Amino acid sequence: MQKGNILIVDDSEMNRSILADMLEDEYAILEAEDGVEAVECLRERIGEIELVLLDIVMPRMDGFGVLASMNQNGWIEDVPVIMISSESGSAQVARAYDMGVSDFISRPFDALVVRKRVLNTLLLYAKQKRLMAMVEQQISETERHSNLMIEILSHIVEFRNGESGAHIMHVRALTDLVLRALMQKTDRYHLTGADVSRISVGSALHDIGKIVIDDHILNKPGRLTAEEFEIMKTHSMQGANMLDALTAHRDDPLVRTAYEICRWHHERYDGRGYPDGLAGDDIPISAQVVALADVYDALTSPRVYKAPIPHEKAVEMIRDGQCGTFNPLLLECLEENAESIRQLMLIGGEEGMAKRESVNIVKDTVRTATSGAAASDRTLRLLDNERMKHSFFSALTKDIQFEYTIAPSMLTMTEWSAKTLGIDEFIPDPADNESLRAVLGEDGWDRLQEELRQTTPERPSVSYDDQLTYGGQTRWHRIVLRSIWSADTPPKFEGAMGKATDIHETHEKMAALEKKATRDAMTGLLNRAAAVERITARMRERPDSHYAMAIFDLDFFKIANDQYGHQFGDQVLKTVADRLRHSVRGSDIACRAGGDEFLLFLEYNTDIERTVDRIFHNLCGYYEDYEISVTMGVALASVAGRSYEELFRAADAALYAAKRAGKKRYHFYDESLRDMLSAISDIDE
Amino acid sequence: MTLQESYKAMGADYDEVLGRLRSERLVQKFVLKFLDDPSYELLLTSMAAGNWEDAFRASHTMKGVCQNLGFTRLGKSSSELTEALRAGDTATAASLLDQVKADYEQTAGAIRASQSGPEHEHHPFVRVPSGK
Repeated sequence: MQKGNILIVDDSEMNRSILADMLEDEYAILEAEDGVEAVECLRERIGEIELVLLDIVMPRMDGFGVLASMNQNGWIEDVPVIMISSESGSAQVARAYDMGVSDFISRPFDALVVRKRVLNTLLLYAKQKRLMAMVEQQISETERHSNLMIEILSHIVEFRNGESGAHIMHVRALTDLVLRALMQKTDRYHLTGADVSRISVGSALHDIGKIVIDDHILNKPGRLTAEEFEIMKTHSMQGANMLDALTAHRDDPLVRTAYEICRWHHERYDGRGYPDGLAGDDIPISAQVVALADVYDALTSPRVYKAPIPHEKAVEMIRDGQCGTFNPLLLECLEENAESIRQLMLIGGEEGMAKRESVNIVKDTVRTATSGAAASDRTLRLLDNERMKHSFFSALTKDIQFEYTIAPSMLTMTEWSAKTLGIDEFIPDPADNESLRAVLGEDGWDRLQEELRQTTPERPSVSYDDQLTYGGQTRWHRIVLRSIWSADTPPKFEGAMGKATDIHETHEKMAALEKKATRDAMTGLLNRAAAVERITARMRERPDSHYAMAIFDLDFFKIANDQYGHQFGDQVLKTVADRLRHSVRGSDIACRAGGDEFLLFLEYNTDIERTVDRIFHNLCGYYEDYEISVTMGVALASVAGRSYEELFRAADAALYAAKRAGKKRYHFYDESLRDMLSAISDIDE
Repeated sequence: MTLQESYKAMGADYDEVLGRLRSERLVQKFVLKFLDDPSYELLLTSMAAGNWEDAFRASHTMKGVCQNLGFTRLGKSSSELTEALRAGDTATAASLLDQVKADYEQTAGAIRASQSGPEHEHHPFVRVPSGK
């Protein structure tokens, strides 16, 4: 096992040596005999040192000098420091805690105390790092999802709008930049970092109202008439209404912010904008900034009808009121940040954006957690803060959260999660636990293990969807896992943290959409594309089975349509589809291939002739007093070949042969039909 | 003289030290090392030269080492000297130095006596490897 490095800084060789002797069984010891050596050693080996034991009184640079340097370089965040001291002056102690010291060891040294303090401090730091990783993962996960949805939405608007995809990104990046500049300048708007990211995200939605504007107005090449312009102007209110209609999420801060932006991003600072004619700071700051960013990007981006206008010129035009009137403070922010804006527009601002945001939030949280704490019980507070932060995020997400260790084999849930699932908070041997199996389903635990096996120390996260049963319901959940590895080389799998989020509604919607996409709307049978896909997949999965494909169409269907009308024709088709459905097994693939033509794919064991004969006779019969009859061509994979194309071509040729023989019959493909013409293409023409 | 006896001779509590360091071997090793520690020499020369800053650090280090090894008497006098030097009270410091000298001689004498004793299993001039 690789030992962690501990740096002992003390000017007395004796003292270093005593400490080294106490710790060398568990750790690798580095030594420095004064502050200057300590800082050099830290600089060279910062990633490797796990903890510093630091004396106060030393020549050249004392312990406080080392602490100052560790603060300056940001090392103090990653490397815990335990102060060695016989100084009991409380001013010294307070100062040391203030500078980030985790704990004290006083002389005379007691081997047991020294070992315990070192171990406790290391464990606390490790725990904090794990929690930070978890929090970061949660934030970035949620953020990635909502960013993705917003991006999709805003791009829909842009594509309809004939704009380049960069506009939304530019507005968003500019909004972010101007708001941060504004925060530096004034606290008039009480903006927090969270406000800024919310407004930036919401800015992407500023034009969603344009979805409902008629295409010929939205994309009219020339100037809009006064009447058309009035319609165009409704997009801001329309967008706001769309957001307001989200009854379930209306009060969500992001939706509120997006509402403000949609509704008021065409107001003017002088009160002459639309739709409400708000003036000055009656216009929410979110909408003011987005309005400015919108105008600025429109000016400085190339369009089909104009070249890009340079930054200075654009600012001049905006300042002169050629493009509306704006808050003078915002204009200052724009002017003062010319260089950053130019850079931002060059790189597009898009890629780093999302990532940077999540990192910022995490950093903010951690800073709040570490800076405000008073000296004497800083360590306790840190721990408390972590716990608070954890439970805050848990409560916020309403996710099931758990930790799993392999030695001992134990699943630990948060209290809320255990209560929700109706199982214990601590479950030893989860693989054999009945109540857990009831929640996860028969294979649920194996699936989770299987997913965890896919992770590596470099890619520790994995997510998948599965059904969980609790509270009398079975619902779909998105399960996110993060595996934990030991510090050994090679790292050993130690367990995992994870959460399960209820995504049942989303999942159902997706399933319904998928159904819509794969089904023929009139008959409810599969459509052709979906059938092709399933047939191909089936043959790939079980290449050794016996397969048959049947194609049939209705005899004289054209006459039914012509004589009784299309509505009647549709009823006939639905009747045939129903009969088809009732004649086949669930595992068979039945499809309406188009018009009055149907396709059936069967897996069989024995006597396919009898099966085909039964199906054929089930299909024929009466609808009202109209006689339905079909003509069918059948091909066996054992004769025709084992691909969809071969089977289809053969069944098609058999259908053609059957028709030539006089309809209302079925015909099996054989070698004699090899060069037969196609029935389908014949009919299609 | 055994190590235990020499602790008794210098007015120190052997059992307390053993309780903290948890190994007779360690106590033995560091007690021997004490004789090589340069702090005492540094203290004397710094005091003589009127270099109060170095003198303070030397007596401070010595105090720390004494605490760790449980040399109560020398620890006490060097601690008083340390505080006088910290406060910049050089007159008091000079007067305290004699006590420190006396305690050091007594302590060092007791250690040397334990080294020459027949029960001692280490050769006095073989340094036990420190394991660094």
